[in-house]
Amino acid sequence: MQTDQPIVMTSEPVEPVKRVLTFRRPRFKETGLVGVLVALGFLLSIFGGSLQIPNRETGESVKVNKFLRADNLDRLAKNTSFFAIMAVGATFVIITGGIDLSVGAIYCLAAVCGAMFLTRFGPHGAGAGASPFWVVPGGVLVCLGVGAGCGFLNGLGVVGLRVHSFVITLGTMAIYRGIAFVLTKAQAYTDFPEQFTDGFIRREINWHGASLYPVPLTIMIGVTAFAWWYLKHSVTGRQIFAVGGNEQASLFSGLPVSWVKVKVYTFSGLTAGIAAMIMLGYYGSASSDAGKGYELDVIAAAVVGGASLAGGRGTALGALLGALIIQVINNGIIILNIDQNYSQIIIGAVIVLAVLLDRINHTLRDKRLTRAA
Amino acid sequence: MSSEASIPAVRFRKVGKRFPGTIALEGVSFEVMPGSCHAIMGENGAGKSTLGKILAGILRPDGGTIEIDGVEREFHSPIDAQRAGVAIVHQELSFCPNLSVAENVCLAHLPGHAGRVDWRKLHKNAQIYLDQVGVDCDVREELSGLSGGQTQMVQIAAALATGARILVMDEPTSSLSAVEAQRLEELIARLRRQGTTILYVSHRMDEIFRLCDTVTVMRDGQHLATSPLAQTNEEELVKLMIGRCWQKIFPVHVERAAGAERLRVKHFSSPGKFQDINFAIRAGEVLGVAGLVGSGRSEVALGIFGLDPKVSGQVVIDGCKVNPNSPQEAMKWGIGLVSEDRKSQGLVLGMECGENITLSTLDRLSRGGVIRRRKERDVIVTFFEKLCIKAASPQAPAQSLSGGNQQKLVLAKWLARESRVLILDEPTRGVDIGAKAEIHRLIDELAAAGCAVLMVSSDLPEVLNLSTRVIVMRNGRLAGRLDRSEATAAGVLKLMTGCGEENLAGLPPLAANRMSLSCKPTNLLS
Repeated sequence: MQTDQPIVMTSEPVEPVKRVLTFRRPRFKETGLVGVLVALGFLLSIFGGSLQIPNRETGESVKVNKFLRADNLDRLAKNTSFFAIMAVGATFVIITGGIDLSVGAIYCLAAVCGAMFLTRFGPHGAGAGASPFWVVPGGVLVCLGVGAGCGFLNGLGVVGLRVHSFVITLGTMAIYRGIAFVLTKAQAYTDFPEQFTDGFIRREINWHGASLYPVPLTIMIGVTAFAWWYLKHSVTGRQIFAVGGNEQASLFSGLPVSWVKVKVYTFSGLTAGIAAMIMLGYYGSASSDAGKGYELDVIAAAVVGGASLAGGRGTALGALLGALIIQVINNGIIILNIDQNYSQIIIGAVIVLAVLLDRINHTLRDKRLTRAA
Repeated sequence: MSSEASIPAVRFRKVGKRFPGTIALEGVSFEVMPGSCHAIMGENGAGKSTLGKILAGILRPDGGTIEIDGVEREFHSPIDAQRAGVAIVHQELSFCPNLSVAENVCLAHLPGHAGRVDWRKLHKNAQIYLDQVGVDCDVREELSGLSGGQTQMVQIAAALATGARILVMDEPTSSLSAVEAQRLEELIARLRRQGTTILYVSHRMDEIFRLCDTVTVMRDGQHLATSPLAQTNEEELVKLMIGRCWQKIFPVHVERAAGAERLRVKHFSSPGKFQDINFAIRAGEVLGVAGLVGSGRSEVALGIFGLDPKVSGQVVIDGCKVNPNSPQEAMKWGIGLVSEDRKSQGLVLGMECGENITLSTLDRLSRGGVIRRRKERDVIVTFFEKLCIKAASPQAPAQSLSGGNQQKLVLAKWLARESRVLILDEPTRGVDIGAKAEIHRLIDELAAAGCAVLMVSSDLPEVLNLSTRVIVMRNGRLAGRLDRSEATAAGVLKLMTGCGEENLAGLPPLAANRMSLSCKPTNLLS
């Protein structure tokens, strides 16, 4: 612990000591979020009570914890995955000081386009019988491509028209959803090849008598890990933080500020596409009101995860944990048999509380810095 | 009357203020007598504006007390200050441009009942104050439709509308035309006759001698001296503001042979900013650019760096026409810009010091878009050691550093890129003396290593001391070129202002200047 002591500098140099510059492993920023999550899980395990369910193999009735059981946690992970993946994308945008209100609409449009493609090649579609070796990747590509394309257009709008991202994405939110309406003529698409649903996203594994669907969880972890690495180790990642921290200084330092912005909106759209793909495969249907109001849940997750709307701050892991905390609370409301109507009030309070704690933390840090100066 | 006069209108007692990274004020104590016009002078970053803001309740001091009319006061907001009779006229225009002139004037006290604004009364009241300051405009007009000078006068009217008896004016004439400045002077004289106390922050000598009766000189956040103006003169004040032991701290210029021509600027113009600027810098030279604030110096720097889309003319580097239209393009040709405002343009304050250094060099420190950590750290360590940057660690956020060390970070950013043409805009503004000397030494070393340096500075001794040659700008035009041997403080000032030569004739030429600036400036006044 001695190494953590700050180096005290006196005003008069006693003797010229050559200081050795040391680089320390950066502090783990998400300790607070992990703590909250563990505490929530602990409380729910204790107070959630238990449940009698029949064992599949023996038919005997067994007692299991309501919260801490495999299929509940699996459902929790699946529910989280949509929001967490989009929250990671939203975090990129928020770090640059922007906001993306259109993720819900992009999610919907990507899902609808993917659904139309998959239905065409589904069991009763015009292209039935096509090889799944290209239908499945094709469906994935349509979802991701539409998502990234919509995000790219958002980016062009923000950079090219020099309008605040709030306004641009507010507009595209309506436009993208409108396109989804027009394309589907307000009908739902459900007829997908099962290689895409049961064979891919909804692939089931059995674990101690419970059916689990690990693919959404895996994709969520994969996206978060990539985003974490990208922000930390890539040139663009560094530039994203610089643009959000001080856009003018970034411009004066010769960074491709516009290009960086286009990239983050494209990534945000791409994550919406990924989430749409999971939704399609898992539920096997899509309609034009998919993802209504998701944009606010996604931004809430990013903010609870420590992203600052002023820009310059945020982490991918934080976004994941933020989404997870919100879902655990949702889950807890069900498990504890609290009236569903209270859930919004509780979640809203949690968001405000999280931001408040974050600000207190930062005020303390600034005070420390002023004293050190 | 005389017994009243013995209680100071304002008394500062050991007032201190720190910002993250800098000490803005330290133990400032002095008194302002009622009915006086008290000048506060000092270089940029001396703490004048901070002091004014503390008096007006915009900033809260970290230490010390303020007494108004002999009563100790603590202001939590500008409203508290207004209640105590203190108002401020800001240096930066801070107003609601979308509201009407009348609303802006009476913003603090909109007349009316039960939340309803009495427009007729509002317009009448506003007109009274506007007449008092002598602005000729319609009170219903939106403020954004007024000229900069008119806006400034409206701001003064608003300060009067709060019923202030103590008025802080922070560089009020910086955006005024000659006629408007004349009107302001008349107004100040009138206000003083009515018994208003005025704190006049400025560094324009002529104004201060015409308007004020007492002067306080500040430097580096400290109070140096307070004296009646009748007992001092311009020369003494200049020495106090800048006076340091030059021979001791600053490197003595060494003559060296200049190399090939690096940068040439031909017929460089930007509408409304500067016109027909021509100069050339050779490798190993430091070209000083002197001029008043607003003379177009910084704009030329931005133009060369590709940040002004409207420039015309030529920028030639190493014999090639380049005319960069973005910083990236300018950087490709080896140009680097240390801009005027390091906090908003130079650094990403929330990022680590090390990350700030490598910000412009990431393309060279990466492979396939992935940053090579070890290489990056080597660069960071190199420049931390080379520039003696003092920070808790290279990973400390840039905002935790002092002004001087922050400036070194900005310099390191461009050195890391191996810039061959370095444009420095106010390289030592708001930097403490020690760091200033180090930065000067560094500039000298850079030039010696074959870099072409263009140095824009308001700090005249800095320009005279470091430059191989000096160009002077006035009102967006080149007012003169001087060789090192011909450059004297008096000569440059004359070119900068275009007038006032008779007052400056007494200043010694550079060589003598350096010797005569005393090591103990406080003795001059007391």
